[in-house]
Amino acid sequence: MKRSQLFSRTILAVLLCLVMCMPAIAAEKPIKLGFVYIMSGPFSTYGQFAKQGAQLAIDEINASGGILGRKVEGYFEDSTGKPDVAARALKKLVYQVGVDCLIGLDSSGVAKTVVPLIPQMKTPLIITHAATPDVTGNICNDYVFRISLNLAQNVKAAAKVASESKANLWTTIGPDYAFGHQSWEYFQKYLKELKPGVKFMPKDKVAFSPIKTTDFSSYITKIMQSKPEGVFISLWGGNLIDFVRQADQMGFFKGDFDVLMSLGAATEVLYALKDKMPVGIWVGTRYWFLSNNSPVNVKFRTAYHKRFGQYPSYNAHGAYGAVYTYKAAVEKAKSVDKKAVIKALEGLSIELPVGKITIRAVDHQAVTDACWGKTAADPAYPIRILKPMRIFPGKEITRPVEQTGCKRK
Amino acid sequence: MESFVVNLLNGLSWGMLLFLISVGLTTVFGVLGVLNFAHGSLFMLGAYLSMWVMHLVPSFWAGLVLGPVLVAVIGMVIEVFFLRPVYDRDVSYQLLLTFAILLVLDDAVRLIWGPGYHVVEAPQILAGVFPLFNHSYPVYRLFLVCIGPVIGGGLWFFFKFTRWGKLIRAAAMDREMAEGIGIRVPLLFTAVFGLGTWLAALGGALAAPHQSIGPSMGERVIIESFIVVVIGGLGSFPGAFIGAIVLGFLEAFGTVFAGRIQMALPYILLAVVLLIRPRGLFGEK
Repeated sequence: MKRSQLFSRTILAVLLCLVMCMPAIAAEKPIKLGFVYIMSGPFSTYGQFAKQGAQLAIDEINASGGILGRKVEGYFEDSTGKPDVAARALKKLVYQVGVDCLIGLDSSGVAKTVVPLIPQMKTPLIITHAATPDVTGNICNDYVFRISLNLAQNVKAAAKVASESKANLWTTIGPDYAFGHQSWEYFQKYLKELKPGVKFMPKDKVAFSPIKTTDFSSYITKIMQSKPEGVFISLWGGNLIDFVRQADQMGFFKGDFDVLMSLGAATEVLYALKDKMPVGIWVGTRYWFLSNNSPVNVKFRTAYHKRFGQYPSYNAHGAYGAVYTYKAAVEKAKSVDKKAVIKALEGLSIELPVGKITIRAVDHQAVTDACWGKTAADPAYPIRILKPMRIFPGKEITRPVEQTGCKRK
Repeated sequence: MESFVVNLLNGLSWGMLLFLISVGLTTVFGVLGVLNFAHGSLFMLGAYLSMWVMHLVPSFWAGLVLGPVLVAVIGMVIEVFFLRPVYDRDVSYQLLLTFAILLVLDDAVRLIWGPGYHVVEAPQILAGVFPLFNHSYPVYRLFLVCIGPVIGGGLWFFFKFTRWGKLIRAAAMDREMAEGIGIRVPLLFTAVFGLGTWLAALGGALAAPHQSIGPSMGERVIIESFIVVVIGGLGSFPGAFIGAIVLGFLEAFGTVFAGRIQMALPYILLAVVLLIRPRGLFGEK
């Protein structure tokens, strides 16, 4: 009798404890973040940097108590830069891993295809790199947000720089897909608004090179022979590195024209080129590690440099910033419920290393500053830095919601 | 005139690089009957290993000479241990195997050197420019234009006049007969695969100073080399030469005169050649 009583009491105690401990166990369950970037192929640099940025943010957050007391875990998938692979990766993260939030996307082509699929996954997606205006424009939806500078914002800043130059006849060289063509389209539109007298080269004089191009000599020759006064370059990554080296050899930068590179201040490009990057060229980027000395930025660039041995690229910043943005949204909503997080993300303002960003409630695009500058040598840095540097406030370069084509509300 | 000469040089320098890569591909196919998917990855490995030697020594020329030799050794190891067991099997096994090697090499490179871009500088003597009409033209490109025919001529001489060259041609024509008269065909095959690999790697080492080095740089070049080889005729030597120059010119002049259609030109040419002359311009049989 006594024995069985003891037994049943023990059982009761265990059961009680289980019930009591339940919330505690639930709270211990980590928050899962799913990341989709290009981890293989010619653009795998971008995935690598994003992963490093994300990892840094996750470790920092976990070291200081997590989000709402819960640890954060990152799950990384390879989009390979292909829309169908990216779609599968996103589905895997949502349905198999059960992530609370999706973060990522490098390619605009991928973004355009997968963004319409996100609502059926009922999970927020924070885009950190893909720049096509469309995802926070005509194909915007409830679940998709972007915290990085988009193409239209960056090109608007480019047009402002260009409008102050003496050049009146502009041409372009860019990658031969939506990004290159849209960059040129927006550049013409914005520059024309700022400087009505400006002229642009006709279609057969501008150059768009296939993304697989490694020999740019014929494009360089074509541009130089068309005798422009200004050249707007939207090449990026390995394409830009190859172009700059070959163009430099062919005397392109000694030419009698101004040069603007919309993504020339990307650190992966600057690290590869080092002193082969000509000085005195106007270059833009989505995040520049020296753009400000706010405590948030100093902390980020110092910690990143210490851990990975390089200054952070814009993709590292994007992933890093997205994790903190998600944290801020959860803390604002006081819940990880996806609907509540989405509501909290709308209109959210947060101080990121790039500066203060505000996610607009309607189109879900972050209003964020753009940084442009002239390449310059500085013995304190192994790469070219920007001097002088110009910061274009987010408000001045972000188009009004009515112009985005976003018909969500 | 100025535009013509510049584009001519642009086309030739790219074409010669393409020739080096394609001629290795076509030689391996002609002799071993293996369509080597991993050829582009060996090209990439050539660039990486040359870069590694260049930093180690440090001398561009040491890298240019030693890098491709190292890759050739790796190529021979691949031939002996992996390709040899599948010669007698269906062709699809060879394709799958070389594709697997491509994946392994690409990831190995990423593991060792990371996913970032690297840049190699041309040696002092080739780094300059020379005046061309009103512009300047890089000396290194001219070097590429010259080195193609030198290598091509050397190979032609080797196959035509040396004992080894004759043995290789004999083995390519009739393997059984060659074995019958006492030629050690397996050894010969290893040597030929090593030669093909060396050519790919040399292409990579030569490409290094004028394009960025990164993982998967091989994938971009392998498609164009396949086009060159099919246009010129699988296994044909002069075919690879002409095919590469044609593709180089299509790229250079196409960009200027054809606009966006330029991208499609190599494929259109490929389709036309396959329809009218399926064995390629210089293909036999």
